[in-house]
Amino acid sequence: MIGLEKGVTLITGNYGSGKTEVAVNLAGLLASRGEKVTLADLDIMNPYFRCRKAAAELEALGVRVIIPREGYFFADLPIVLPEIRGAIQRRDSVFIGDVGGDDTGARILGSFADVLARNPYKLLMVINANRPFTDTVDGCLGMMDEIEASSKLAIGGIAANTHLMDETDADVVRHGFRLAAEVAEIRGIPIVLVAVAASLARELRDEPFADRLLPIERTMLPPWRRREGTGPGMFKIRQIAEL
Amino acid sequence: MAKKLMKGNEAIGEAAIQAGVRNYFCYPITPQSEVAEYLAKRMPEVGGMFLQGESELAVGNMIFGAAATGERVFTTSSSPGISLMQEAISYIAGAQLPAVFANIVRGGPGLGGILPAQSDYFQSVKGGGHGDYKMLVLAPSTVQEAVDLMMIAFDLADKYTNPVMIIGDGMIGQMMEPVEFKKPPPMALPPKKWAANGCKGRDPVIIRSLFLDPLRLEQNNRELFVKYRRMQAEEVRFERYNVEKGNKVLIVAYGTTARICKTVIADFKARGINVGLLRPISLYPFPMAAVAEAAEGVKAVLSVEMSMGQMVEDVERSVLGRAPVGFFGRVGGVVPTPEEITVEIEKLL
Repeated sequence: MIGLEKGVTLITGNYGSGKTEVAVNLAGLLASRGEKVTLADLDIMNPYFRCRKAAAELEALGVRVIIPREGYFFADLPIVLPEIRGAIQRRDSVFIGDVGGDDTGARILGSFADVLARNPYKLLMVINANRPFTDTVDGCLGMMDEIEASSKLAIGGIAANTHLMDETDADVVRHGFRLAAEVAEIRGIPIVLVAVAASLARELRDEPFADRLLPIERTMLPPWRRREGTGPGMFKIRQIAEL
Repeated sequence: MAKKLMKGNEAIGEAAIQAGVRNYFCYPITPQSEVAEYLAKRMPEVGGMFLQGESELAVGNMIFGAAATGERVFTTSSSPGISLMQEAISYIAGAQLPAVFANIVRGGPGLGGILPAQSDYFQSVKGGGHGDYKMLVLAPSTVQEAVDLMMIAFDLADKYTNPVMIIGDGMIGQMMEPVEFKKPPPMALPPKKWAANGCKGRDPVIIRSLFLDPLRLEQNNRELFVKYRRMQAEEVRFERYNVEKGNKVLIVAYGTTARICKTVIADFKARGINVGLLRPISLYPFPMAAVAEAAEGVKAVLSVEMSMGQMVEDVERSVLGRAPVGFFGRVGGVVPTPEEITVEIEKLL
């Protein structure tokens, strides 16, 4: 990853691009490296698969997780907690915001425009090239324009996250990186991370993007799937050199 | 076409387009709103129409009206919304028109919750609206199967001039899986002579479900039941998973629940205990003969559902005393875990 170790990182993208898995795994990785991390649920769109589910594991790693609690956990309501404004302004820790999908989900960021104007932030666009509407360069550019228009913020980096769930292989990741690279070049912004299933990271260690790999352990699995290595230990530090 | 990673709801929307649907009406409700969102973007690209009704009541009747023209029509909703459509569904069945409804089921009764459930089994299978009618009800357990069933649902609706329902719990709508869109083999379909699509050069057709002459209404009901018997003969769909001689227990489960049961079955197999799964794909017509056959010689049958016990009545009706029938369910949006189901099966061994 490039330049995500400090400050405010806001993670946007279209529905199902993998924003939450990227946010959760990024928070876990930084925390396991000893960084002070806050992860905030800014998703006002999707009540099904959200970073709330990984909260306990992240908290065990010392991550401050800001999510609706107790009676509001399952509410089908656009809840944004007041402490998020304060958390964004803290300079002593990394802030990661998991934003809802599409331009509709990104609209929430407009309400933080005043705070973000005073605090350096990076707005990332997560791209999965196998998802509808972001499977072409034009589709990605259009989605970026929409997200920027509704969030009133500029996208400053791309998180390449191309996969096909269990059917992902190294070529799927390479294809996604190529598409993301085209988009990045047109917009003049960097690809700051390439998310890959942890099991694929070793195979990709010689790729040009190997310095930016974020190994992903899926935290949101369907009920018929069991996760290996469940527990706080899942976010192990994975230096590329060790892969 | 390369595989795409799609949410069940998006895939259901795309499958409708691939199946030739150009008329989609909907009122949003969690957990199915992504179908509307997807088709709002996609329909204009293919020259189709997405119209949001002012309520599900309106949408149901828009479907009724559009179906009368012989065009392929489609709507999606979730449990409370499907309840509001029941009047229209009864009219559509009575008037013998083809239409496809997808219900991405959430917990009830009432407004209930927004998480996955299978508690609309009775509503869809036993007739949620009034009168003697049946719908063909198809229950996918993967996103790919949702696509495949959608692709044939419109053909089946045309074949029987009858409403068809795709029923998936909230998980089917919300989860993402890789999918591809394969055209199914073409079905021989009857010409739509009944369609009210302009009567220039021919006699007008009248589409109605109102028959004040009792003998005429009785005749209409008898015609419907000729079709339903044909469905029972030709449209039973199911999957047998690990069903074999020596099964100690037979599980009957559909949709997401069946997938969880497969995990359980693999665990038992590793322990040397043989458990089978009969997964109904068509909930109506229910695979009665297949369930009965699979229940031969087992110690017990267990119906696993995300309801308080609905399909279990059809399981009992099929097993007819060949083995004791038990039930395990979680409700309210709670999805049963493999561990819980394992405990229930161990009680039966």
